[in-house]
Amino acid sequence: MSASEGASRTPARRTVERALEEKVAREEHQRVEASRKLLASIVESSEDAIVSRATEGHILSWNRGAEKMFGYSAEEAIGQPISMLVPPECASELGQIQERVAQGESVGRYETVRLAKDGRRIDVSLVVSPIFDAAGRITGASSIHRDITERKRAEEALARRAEELERSNTELEQFAFVASHDLQEPLRMVASYTQLLAQRYQGKLDADADEFIAFAVEGAQRMQKLIQDLLTYSRLGSRREEFKPTECGQALGRALQNLAASIEESGASITHGPLPTVVADGSQLTQLFQNLVSNAIKFGDQQPPRVHVSAERNGAEWTFAVQDDGIGIDPQYADRIFVIFQRLHPRNEYPGTGIGLAISKKIVERHGGRIWVESKAGEGSTFKFTIPTERSNHLA
Amino acid sequence: MSAETRKKLVQILLVEDNPGDVRLTREALRDDHTNHLTWTSDGVEALACLHREGKYADAPRPDLILLDLSLPRKDGREVLAEIKQDPELRRIPVVVITSSEAEKDIDKIYNLQANCFITKPLDLDRFVLVVKTAVGFWSGIVKLPLQ
Repeated sequence: MSASEGASRTPARRTVERALEEKVAREEHQRVEASRKLLASIVESSEDAIVSRATEGHILSWNRGAEKMFGYSAEEAIGQPISMLVPPECASELGQIQERVAQGESVGRYETVRLAKDGRRIDVSLVVSPIFDAAGRITGASSIHRDITERKRAEEALARRAEELERSNTELEQFAFVASHDLQEPLRMVASYTQLLAQRYQGKLDADADEFIAFAVEGAQRMQKLIQDLLTYSRLGSRREEFKPTECGQALGRALQNLAASIEESGASITHGPLPTVVADGSQLTQLFQNLVSNAIKFGDQQPPRVHVSAERNGAEWTFAVQDDGIGIDPQYADRIFVIFQRLHPRNEYPGTGIGLAISKKIVERHGGRIWVESKAGEGSTFKFTIPTERSNHLA
Repeated sequence: MSAETRKKLVQILLVEDNPGDVRLTREALRDDHTNHLTWTSDGVEALACLHREGKYADAPRPDLILLDLSLPRKDGREVLAEIKQDPELRRIPVVVITSSEAEKDIDKIYNLQANCFITKPLDLDRFVLVVKTAVGFWSGIVKLPLQ
């Protein structure tokens, strides 16, 4: 009885169990299907061309991005060899990619060129990954192509622009150099012969003649100085010494040696704090210290001038300071003083052509730094400049 | 000038295309009566003079050559190379005096066996001093082989 009872319950229970199992399976299937549809719609809606292919190389799937990018519809592309997208000049890379994928490796962000249906070449960034089956065997590969034509075009335009700028800059430097060099020759004639006139005929003509000749001599000599300065300035770009680790203390020492006469004459006391080693053009660094210290002495107010050179590290750069107790600079002129041949004082008060700070600025900028002045009229000036602690490559 | 007085004079050949520099050189040497200056304005003329060709048949053999570098027709580097390859001429001291300061010129000129390289000073007094000093050194101080 109990057995028949048991037997009579069993089929019913089985039915319920089967129904439950089917429901679970159906729900599972729906979940998988939903997730598959979600993934498929993500793939479909991607701007990138997403393509999968079998190990043998024929295309298995082709999203809308691929249709748009390459111009083949999914019907046209599926079943075709993936090699139809590869231009002849890139044929060898396909084998290399396949080899790596066959070993289970992914090839990431590989920049290359692919061929569209109409023969257009498209710059793409490519990510290729192996596809595994449930047993972990590689059955094919997926490749995601991102169109980088625009970026490439922008990069090329930028590179061209940089090249043009570099060329025009070099040409300008060359021009300044050649022009000043060639002007120097006829000017040497004017200067020499007016000097010769002055030497031979001083006091032999009349007072007017002496005055006229004196102005001609002075004008020609001043122009010679300007042209020499222009040559020095334009040479900064063309005569390049190699950048190497340079002890700033030594560079300053050489600068002070070069300035020995004017230091002695002015009785200036020049002190300095600890100075670092930087990667620099040694002779230009010497020139830089020399210009700044000589300015500090020249525009000294109190006798004797006191000048202090120091350096401190701020993150990725050194900030140098050349501090004096001289006449100072009205802040409204703080930028103008770095422009070539700009002067703030009459020549008879403070001689010079106004080249020193322009040269200093060019030197600092060639080293990837900045230069500026902190000052108030009557309170001394501090010239500051920076030099990166690490030499960046684009300046090499 | 008689042949005898000419013989005693230091014979200088100046190869220079700028008449202004020729006159300046003459002015620099004008108080020095121990020399005689012959002038040619380009490299072809200079070599014709050294080889005593054509109108230079009677030209004196120079004791010293002052040579500019930028010259018409044949430039100073070529003239220098030819002089230093010529067994007859190569012992004549050649002073290159030019407006160039280019290191590649200086290198090349010494490789070509020039006796010295001088950049023309911009200042008159300095120019006069340099010309006088160079001529004085090569004609009065150094011992040169007999010709």
